[in-house]
Order: sequence, then structure tokens, then C-alpha cells
Amino acid sequence: MTTAPLLALALALLNVAVALLLSPLAEGVMRKLKAIVHSRQGPPLTQPYLDLLKLLGKEDLRTTGGLPYALAPALSLGSVLLLATLVPLGAAPPLGFAGDLIVLIYVATTSAVALILTAFASGSPYAAVGGSREMMMLLSVEPVLAVALVVGAVKAGTLSVGGILAWNAEHGPTISMAIAAVALFLALQAQAGKLPFDIPEADQEIMGGPLIEQSGPRLALFRWALWAKQLIFALLLVQVFVPWPHLGIVPLDVVLTLVKALLVLVLVGVIDAVNPRLRIEQAMGYYMRVALSALAGLAFAVIGM
Amino acid sequence: MLTWMLVLMVLLPALAAAVAAVVKGALARWVAATAAALVAVLAVWCCLASYGVSYRVALGDLPWLAGTLPAPVFGVLLDPVGCILLLVVTVIGFLTVLYSTRYLSTANRDHPEGPEAQGRYYFWLLLFLASMVGVAISPNFLQLFIFWEMTTVCSWALISYYGTPKSLAAGFKALVMTAAGGLFFLGAICVLFAKTGSFEFAALGQLPGHWRSAVFVMLMIAAWAKAAQVPFHTWLPDAMEAPTPISAYLHAAAMVKAGVYLMARSVISTSAVPPKVALLLGAMALLTMFIALSYYFIQDDLKRLLAYSTIANLGYVMLGVALGALGSVTALRGAMLHILCHGFGKATLFLCVGAVAYMTGSRSISALAGVARTMPLTATAFFIGVMAVAGVPPFGCFWSKFMIVAGAMRLPGAIGPVVVTLVLVESLISFAWLLHVAQKVFLGKTTPVACVNSDPPPAMSAVLIVLMLGCLVAPAIGIPLVQWIGR
Amino acid sequence: MSIAELLAVAITVLLVGAVASLALARWRRLAGWVSTAFVAAAAIAIWVVVLRAFSSPAEGEATVLVLPGLGARLSVVVDPLSAFFLAIVATIAVVATLYSVDYMTHFAGNTLAKFYPILLVFFAAIVGVLVVSDFLFFLVCWELMTLTSFFLVTFERENAASQRAGLKYFVITHAATLCMVVAALLLWRECGSFHFGDLLAALAQLLVTRPVLAHTVLGLLFIGFATKAGVLPMGDWLPDAHPVAPSGVSAALSGALVKMGIYGLVRFFCAVLPASAAAVGWGIAIALAGTASLFVGTLTALGQTDSKRLMAFHTIGQIGYICLGLGVGIACLRSAPTLGALAIMGALFHAANHACFKACLFLGAGAVLYRTGERDMNRLGGLAAAMPLTAGSSTVASLAIAGVPPLNGFASKWLIVATCLLAGMRQPLFLILGLVAMFISLATLASFLKVLGAVFLGEPNPERQVSEVPATMATAQIVLAALCVLLGVLPFWPLRFIREAVAASVPITVPSASELLGGPWGLSVAGGGVALAVWSPLALVGGMVVLALVAYGLQRAGGAGTREVAVWTCGEEHAAATVRYPASSFYLPFKHAFEGIYPRIRWRVPAFPAGVRRAFDVDSWAYQPVARLVERSAGAVSRSHVGVPQVYLLWIVVGAVAVVAIVLGLVG
Repeated sequence: MTTAPLLALALALLNVAVALLLSPLAEGVMRKLKAIVHSRQGPPLTQPYLDLLKLLGKEDLRTTGGLPYALAPALSLGSVLLLATLVPLGAAPPLGFAGDLIVLIYVATTSAVALILTAFASGSPYAAVGGSREMMMLLSVEPVLAVALVVGAVKAGTLSVGGILAWNAEHGPTISMAIAAVALFLALQAQAGKLPFDIPEADQEIMGGPLIEQSGPRLALFRWALWAKQLIFALLLVQVFVPWPHLGIVPLDVVLTLVKALLVLVLVGVIDAVNPRLRIEQAMGYYMRVALSALAGLAFAVIGM
Repeated sequence: MLTWMLVLMVLLPALAAAVAAVVKGALARWVAATAAALVAVLAVWCCLASYGVSYRVALGDLPWLAGTLPAPVFGVLLDPVGCILLLVVTVIGFLTVLYSTRYLSTANRDHPEGPEAQGRYYFWLLLFLASMVGVAISPNFLQLFIFWEMTTVCSWALISYYGTPKSLAAGFKALVMTAAGGLFFLGAICVLFAKTGSFEFAALGQLPGHWRSAVFVMLMIAAWAKAAQVPFHTWLPDAMEAPTPISAYLHAAAMVKAGVYLMARSVISTSAVPPKVALLLGAMALLTMFIALSYYFIQDDLKRLLAYSTIANLGYVMLGVALGALGSVTALRGAMLHILCHGFGKATLFLCVGAVAYMTGSRSISALAGVARTMPLTATAFFIGVMAVAGVPPFGCFWSKFMIVAGAMRLPGAIGPVVVTLVLVESLISFAWLLHVAQKVFLGKTTPVACVNSDPPPAMSAVLIVLMLGCLVAPAIGIPLVQWIGR
Repeated sequence: MSIAELLAVAITVLLVGAVASLALARWRRLAGWVSTAFVAAAAIAIWVVVLRAFSSPAEGEATVLVLPGLGARLSVVVDPLSAFFLAIVATIAVVATLYSVDYMTHFAGNTLAKFYPILLVFFAAIVGVLVVSDFLFFLVCWELMTLTSFFLVTFERENAASQRAGLKYFVITHAATLCMVVAALLLWRECGSFHFGDLLAALAQLLVTRPVLAHTVLGLLFIGFATKAGVLPMGDWLPDAHPVAPSGVSAALSGALVKMGIYGLVRFFCAVLPASAAAVGWGIAIALAGTASLFVGTLTALGQTDSKRLMAFHTIGQIGYICLGLGVGIACLRSAPTLGALAIMGALFHAANHACFKACLFLGAGAVLYRTGERDMNRLGGLAAAMPLTAGSSTVASLAIAGVPPLNGFASKWLIVATCLLAGMRQPLFLILGLVAMFISLATLASFLKVLGAVFLGEPNPERQVSEVPATMATAQIVLAALCVLLGVLPFWPLRFIREAVAASVPITVPSASELLGGPWGLSVAGGGVALAVWSPLALVGGMVVLALVAYGLQRAGGAGTREVAVWTCGEEHAAATVRYPASSFYLPFKHAFEGIYPRIRWRVPAFPAGVRRAFDVDSWAYQPVARLVERSAGAVSRSHVGVPQVYLLWIVVGAVAVVAIVLGLVG
């Protein structure tokens, strides 16, 4: 698992580039898919790129000043990109030498922290409601993520994400990992902020929630961070829990992984298209049940299955 | 030299008492305070001079007994056990007299008291001091008994000092109960004399088995009555009708200690206490502690609450003595130390209550609140007294209680831990309640009753300061002294 | 100077400072500055002691006083464990006192004669607790510490809540102390000494020969220390007592006082248990107690709207993390020394970190209280603009306690959670505990985002004129916030010293620092030569800075202008106050899910049944009837005295006849 520094740097750049540049495409695919399911024409696949470009040039309207507030979008996107370097893409995570799965879980919350603090700082009651909901969704989903990753850790006997990936690729599917993978997939729906779990944004009730007061480049960065995050979690799912076939040739593995991730996101998009929004307490109850079921996976892992 | 100093310590206050009875007004105060101060200085000197040794001199005999006894009837004895009592009696005695010089005045809102009747007060107080010194330096049971009964009489007179029907009744009750106990003491002495031909403390060991038990039980009953132990605990709360300095001195620091002192004397002088008697003594001590505790929660008069606390603390001493009788020197030393530490702690508390009553005219827990606002020194002293009495380190009673429970822990089998647990439970509850009461009275929003201007007059405040220091340094004085016990 | 002399100097300085501040209490700020100077001087002496203890081989014990009768002697020794806690205390003491200089000026109705002197004695008592090596004197210092902190908690004389909280605090902790007294005496019965070494040897012996007794002793000690540390349910005093104290004191309580419980646990549990067969059982018990505490404490904190009370509940939660780490360490130390040692180190590191961030948070809450007079977060908001320094340090501390990388809270939580999960591979229960700990870490985040959102962010109240706190208070906060960052980014350096502390206090040989932690730039847990868990803050911080700059570059790439606008409330006009989202509204559904997790017990004065009352009242059923009987018979006798001479003559005659008759009868 020791990676030469230069190779690590190259892989890190690759991960960041993928997260930054391909995530709008994945979003575009999901939008298109949703339109098809709704029997609409839908926007072109490139629409998210165009959105970003246009937003980056628009005037930035702020309700409050201060340096932290000004930097929050960059911190949010930056931490998502950092998360990308902790997630494997065809090979061990590039920054795997610097952080294990615990670090991954904590870094994953950092972008949400930036978003929620921005929401509270903006002074809009809608944003505050949205921020509060965002936090509750995080509280509901994070245990699922943690349990799933810990199942892997127990199987592989290490907390290193790369180690779990290597073990899984070598040993083939097991019951416990399958349970963990399903749980993680169910969590992905909320992490991507898709129906039925887009409760924090909930455009029709609280008008974008945390993002209501964000405009121009700030909105672009927050959106970008969200899209990158959904791609990263899809990558995490397919790489760590469904790494087969693992060819060992990095470029091929990268392509394969991206295709699998896109397929997963398509599935997420389909679920998004056919479901109504849940209330927050329904979502919390749902994810609590998912987390408890995932504990069954942990039990299987402990007894070696 | 030491002999005459000791005799002087009895004679001086007795003489001063006679003078104070005849002179008028302020002069009586000065005579009393001077005499008490002298006695206190003498006592400290004597304790230093006799440190670590047992000093004993025979002085005289009853003509009709001359030659028949192994040692003369009258004499002086000063050993570490006596030193402890002597220090408590004289130092706190002096502080009480000093305090009384201001307490008994027309400025007292609780009991305004003109100068005319004060001669009587100082007469009895100094006489009590003399007899208590006599108790502390008595070399045998007979002399001890004589001084013991003198303290009873003084107590009666002082409880009834105000002359109200209630105080007369209380004084009479105290007199009857302690004197009845005294009869048992007399009976014990008679049996002792009849069986061994001696009044010596050590003669207890020469008694044949069942007689020894009988004598010990009689002494125990006497001690219970004097120290207000169950079942004779009822006179002490009623005795709170006395002027507050009297309650502090006689009924917390000195006279009630004579009861436990008698038991300690008996146990120390012979290593042959019947175990059953010792167990009975210990069991009654525990019972006393809990019965006294059960009365805490329904008291509204601060002094009555403190009286029950005194009863419980005397239970501690009795327990320590009982454990000592069962063979634990540590507990016995702890018991003697407790006499000293509790004396300072409880005197502090009583004199604080006196100060509050002096300034506000009330002793009611429910009527008072927020007194600390105007009487910070008194409040500090009261809190320190509570900590000292409850056994919070570094204050006095922690050390003595710790030694007592350490001794109890050495009891064989599971009895040790059980006794320790019971004692500590009592200690915790009484601590909690005293602290609660202290907070109730001194902190919080000031009630109209408590709206006074200041701490009490300088003489009273000075006494409180000295007592506060006493709470802190008492173990430093007491531990070196008690380590000579049981060697 | 020897260590003992330096300590004597430190304690003397503190006590002299107490007297000096008592004399100067009338001048509030002067008294504060004088106290700060004395505390700082003492802290320097203590830091010298700390450095000496870590750098040179251990100095022997110095015996000051001997109590022969009890087998107790006042002896002083500073080993790395004591030194570690001394370092925390010295730091927190200076900061808390400095903060109080200005803070204490606004208690106009309360004299400072009952603040600074007591505060200084309190610090002296804590130093005493940490350096004595004899249980009797340990208890003396321990209760002196409780006593002084009681008076600090009840500082606001007229505040009924303060008094209630103080009473509860003192009574509960006094009960715990009495448990420790029993435990010490049970061991003393075996070995006849109160010296730590002898007691621990006796305990180790008992664990083999009389396990029931040994477990009783351990249980009593656990109650004693865990109560002070604030482990639930014994720590119930904490959420009442911490908020009502003046804020500097709250910081000292959370930063230093509750750590003494942890010190005791390490001193007594880690020193004996790991080598015994009971290690796993006790390890699990302590870890469970810690997990229960962090779960209940943190989730209860989430529902609080009083800022200081919220932080007090979080203290319970964070102490839970420390106990979890200790439990894991005790359970694993023998079978896996690396893992066990790292777990205990994580726990101690978290203790130090908690001292930094919780003290900073209390000082921040105090700063808000000082300027607004408000602890209720529902009525606060938007203070960041007016109080940027306070807001900034509170934000850093909030993120640190929530475990946001790379701050110090994350570093120690990472150690605790990582070792817990790795230990879980041997003992699956620890997996669950580790997962709970991770979940609760997020709940902590939620709670502090609420604090930041409700107190510092959002629209300010236009009616309230607020300005930044004075320099002393701001400095105190900034120092602590800086420590939060420093300890988080460079965790290896403090952990090296903590390793010394652990090595000095456990009966198992602990691997060297580099073996335990990997290189000096990060932390790792190794197993079988492979790093099983890693955390390199510098690498990630570097990455984060680069990537955030990239993101910021993107943000500015379009060259968009910025403009300040008003909040848009869907076109309707609202006053900011009417549409504010108050603290009590945050996370409502989530809070409902965990309602009633913290049961409240009402204490009542014991009421004795009437029968018992009567039985105790000896007067009414014994003495008074007897007295009445005597009185009645005396009355009967007195009736014979009729006052008529003839009747008396008659009696004489009757008597004479009777005497003659009797004499004749006897003779005849």
C-alpha cells in the first residue's frame, strides 16, 4: 500500500480532476434521466456546466460580510476535493497514507459544516431551517456510512480504506460486505440530496434552504461541491464494496470504476424521479432502520462471513 | 510547681466566682475575663510542661480513710487524656467568658440583659470552669465524682438563668436526668470500693468478672446521662433555653464531654473491658447517632438543631471509646481528638448562632435568610464550623472521624465495613443538612428579620475568628497529644 | 532546587496570593491583577517542575510530615503522570485568573473577598491532589479542592439556583469522597499504610487472593473518581454546578477540576488492572460507563438553550470519550500493548484537549454573558460582527470539540475511536462503542453549530449595543483557541510526553514513542508492522489549503462583483426579530426522538413514619409518665398533711403503737 510520492500526487490530481470536471456531467445525466421518466425533453447533458459557467460570472449578492463568510464556499468545495483524494479511484486512495476511514468520515462532514454555518450566517430564516434539516440528515446518514465502512474494516482487519479495497478485491464478495454495500447505496440517496431525501433544500417549501441567500459564484461553488460529493460517494461505494473486476491496470480500472459509478448514479436518479419527498422525521426513522440493519452486516463480519 | 499550678487552676476561678458574685456591673465582667484568661494560659503552660508524661501527685486524704487506700483520695493527675479535656475546657471557657462580656448586654436583641444580674451569671460560669478543671485533673473516681456533680449543679443554674418557666423546667429536667445518672456513678464507685478497696481508675481491672461488667454498665449509664446519649438524650435540646454562650460551652464543648471523658478514662485505665459491654456501648452510640440525625429535619430553632448535632457527635466519641475498648488504639485516639475538634467546631457554630440572635433577635431557620450580606464574618465562621463539625478536611473533625472509622475498619470480619458504612452515611446526611441550613440562613435573598447593620461587636467577632482558627489547627495540637494515649 | 522545594514555592506563592487578594479585595481590578500575577508566578514554578519531571530521571519522594499512628505520611512525588496534569492545571489556572480580572468587575453585589482568595486556594489544592503520594493527604487535598470549588460555585450569594447547585455538588461529591475513604480503609486494613505504592500493591494482591473484596474496592474508587469526573449517573451535579459559577471558574472547573477524576482513574485503575485477570471486565465496564455518559450527556446537551448548561452537558459527553479510551486501554493493554497504550494516551490527550476547548467555550459564553447579560441562546444572535475575537475563538473551540479535522479534538477522538475499532476486532462490543462514539461526535457538531448559529451568526438585535470584551478576556480566549489549533496540527509532540505519563503509570512495558505513533508528522496505529490507521494533519492541511485556494480561484475566475443586500423573506417585510430562528427550534424532530433520555430525580427530605417518631420520643412514653406518677404520688402523700395539730398527734400515737407492736413482735 505504500505509494511512491509522485504517483500519489498524480493520482491525487486525477481524483480531484475527476471530482471537479466529471461531476457536472453525472448531474447532467441524472437530470436528463429524470426528464425522460417524467416524459419531458429535459436539458442537455452539458446544462450543469453551463449553469456553473453562468453563475461564476454573475453578481455576488451577500446579506452579511466578514472573511469567514466570504471563504465558506471555497472551504466547502475544497473539503469535498480533499475528500476525493481520500477515496480510491482504480487504485489505493492517493492520500491514504495521511488518513484512514475515520478521517474520511470526518472530512466528509466538513463541507456540510461550511454550508450550514453559511446558512446560519446568512440571516434568512429559510436558510436556518434548511441548515437545521441538513444537520439532521447528516446525523441520520452518517451512522450508515460509518457502519458500512466499519464492516469493511472488520473484514480487512485495518482502518485503511486502501486496505479494505485490497482485501475485498482479493477475497471476493461476502454476505457482510453485500449488506454494507446495500446500506451505503441507500445512504447515497440522501448524500446526493435527491428525492425522497432532498429535505434540506426542498425548493417548494423552503426555497433551496441553506442556499436561498447564495448567488453567483458562491451558489456555483456550493452546487459544485454537492455534485462532486455525490460522485465521490458513488465512487466510494463501487470501489470499496464492489471492486470487481479489479484488473490491476490503473487506467482500465479508473474507466471501469467511473462507468460503475455512473450506473449507480443512474439508479439514484431513477429513484429520485419516481419518489415524492419524505418528511424529516420519516427520513430519520428510515435511516435509523437502515443503520440498524447494517449492524447485521457487522454481526456477519464479526463471525467471519 | 506544676502541682500548684494545677491546684491554682481550680482555686483561681472558684475565687473569681465568689468575687464576681459580689461585685457589681462591669467589674464582674473584668474579673471573670481575667480569671478565665489566666486559667487558659496556665492550662496551656501545664499541658506543655507535662507533654508526653503522666504527672501525678497526691495531696490529701479523708481522715477516716487515711492509710486504708493504696493512694490518697485527693490529688492531681495530668496526662494526655486530661490535657485534651483541660485545653477544651479552659481555652473555650475563656473565649466563652470573653464572648459573654458583650453578649449579655442591653444591645442583645434576643435577650436584652441589664448589668444587675450578671454577677450571678459569672459566678456560676466560673464555678463551672473550676469544677470542669477539677474533672480534668482528677486522679481517681471519687474526686472525679465530686467535681462531676458540681458541674451538674452549675449546669442547672445556668440553664435556668433567664428564669422563664420554660428555662426553669429545662434546667430542672437536666438536673434530674444528669443527677439520676450521677446516682449510677455513685453506685459504681461504691461497688468498686467495696470490692477492691480503692477508688483508682486502674482498680476497675481488679474487679471480678461479672462485677466488672456491672460497674462498667453503671458508669456507662452515668456517662450516657451526662453526654445526652440515647435513652437520656432528651434533656439536651431543652437545655437550649440557656443563654447561647452557655449552650456553646456547657452543652457542646465542655460539660457533655465529661460524660464521654468518664468512659474514655475507664477504658484507658484498664485493658479489661468486658467485650459485651463494649459492644453495647458501640451499638448505643450508633443508635444515638441515627436517632439524633432523625431529629435534624424537623428543627426550626438553630440551637436545637445544633444540640442534636452535638448528641450525634458525642455518639462518635462513644463509638470511638467502644472501639478502643475492643482493642483499637487508633479509634480511642480518634475519640479523644474528637473531643477537642468537636469542641472548637461546635462552639464556633453556637457562638455564630448567638451572634445572629444578638444582632437580629431570631434563631429561626425559616425566618432568617441572607444574613451573610450584613454579617460576612459570622457567615464565614458558621460555614467553617459546619465544615469542621461535618468532617470536611482539612478542618478538625475530619481527622478525628477518620481515626474513628479507621479503628472501626479494623473490627473483625464484615462488622468493620458495616460500621464504617453506617457512620459515614450518618456523617454524609448530617453534613448535607447542616450545609443546607447554613445556606438557607446565611445565603440567598435577605429577609426583613435579617436586615441588620453589621457583624457583632469586636469582642464577639474576635472570639469567632479565634475559634475559626481553632477549627483549623485543633488537629495539629491534638494529634501530637493523642499519640501518647495507649502507649 | 528540588522538585519538592519548587512545589513548596508554588503553593506558598498561591497561599500568599490568596492573602494578598483578600487584603486588596476592595479594589476589584487590582485584586484581579495581583491574583493573576501570583498565579502566573506559581504556574512558572509548576512548569519548571513539569519540564524537570519529563526531562530528568524521576526524583525520589520527599516526605514532609509523618502521622505515625495511622501509617500515613505526607510525601510528595512528581512522576510524568502528575506532571502532565500539572501542566494542564497550570495553564488553565493562569488563563482563568487573567480572564476574571475584568469579568469579575460586573458582580457589583458580591465582594471579591470570597472569590480570588478561594480561587487561589483552589488551585493550590489541585496541585496538592496531583503531587501527594499518600491517600490520607490525597483525600485532604481532594476535599479542600471540593470545598473551595463549592464556594466558587455558590459565589452569587443571592441566586437561589447557585445555592441549590452548590449544595447538590458538594453533597454528591462528598458522598463519592466517603466511598473513597471506605476503599482506602479497606486496603489500609490489608497493608497498614496509606502510601499509594503500598495501597496499589495490596490491591494487586487482593485481586488474586480475594477478588470480591478487590472488586468492591475498585467499585468504590470508581464511584469516587467518576463522580468528580462527571461520568453519569454520578456526574449529575455537573450540569447544575458549572453554569452557575462565574465563567472563569466554570472554565477552571471543566478544564482542571473534572480532570482530577481522570487522574485518579489513571492512577489507580491503569496502575493495577492491566496486569490482572480482571482487566477485560473492568475495561469493558469503564468503557460502557464512558459510552453511556457520552451518549446521554451529548444528546441531552443538544436540547439545551442555556449556553453554559449546554457546555456543562458536553463536559459529561467529552469525559465519556476519555473514559471510553481508558476502558479500551485497560482491556487491551496486556494482550496488545501498542493498542492499549495508544488508547490510554488518546484518553489523556483528550483530557488536555478538552481542557483547552471547553475552557475556551466557557470563557466565550462568559464573554457573551458579560456583554449582553444573557445565557439564554433564544434571545441572542448576530454577535459575530460586534465581538469578532470572541466569535472567532468560540468557533475554533466549537469545531475542535466537535472533532472537525485538523483541530485538537479530532486528533484525540481519532486516537480513541481508532483504537476502539481496532480493539473491536478482538472484542466486538468495542465496535459498537466506537460507532456510538462516532455518531455522538456528529451530534456534538450539531449542538455546537446550533450554538454558533444562535449566538454569533444571523441578524444582530438592533436594540442591543454590544462591543468586544476587554483585552484580558479576549487574550484568554485567543490563547486557548490557538492551543486548540496547535495541539491539533502537531499532535505528535504532546503525545510524546503523554507516552511518558502512561509508561510511568501502567504495569506493562509501553513501546517507544516512535514505535507507537509512527513518524513525527502524524499519528498511526501499527499492527504487525503495517499501519492500520493513520492521521497526518500536516499533509491533509496542506492539501486542504491548496484545494481551497483552487476553489477560491474558481470562485473569483468569473470576476463577478459583490454587493451587500438585505435578507430576502419572499417579498414580505418582517422585522429581523420576528422571523429569527431561535435556538430552541433547532433539530426539533431529532430532539423529540431522544426526549426523556436524562431522567430527573427529585430529592425530598426524609419523612419518618409517625410510629418511629413516637418510638424515638422517649420523653413522651417514658420520662413524662414517670414524672407524672411521681408527682401524683407526691400529691397523695401531701394530702396527709392537713395542718391540724390534733391529727398529727393522732398519727404520733398510731405510730408509737405500731413501733411498740413491731418491737414486741420481733422480740417475742
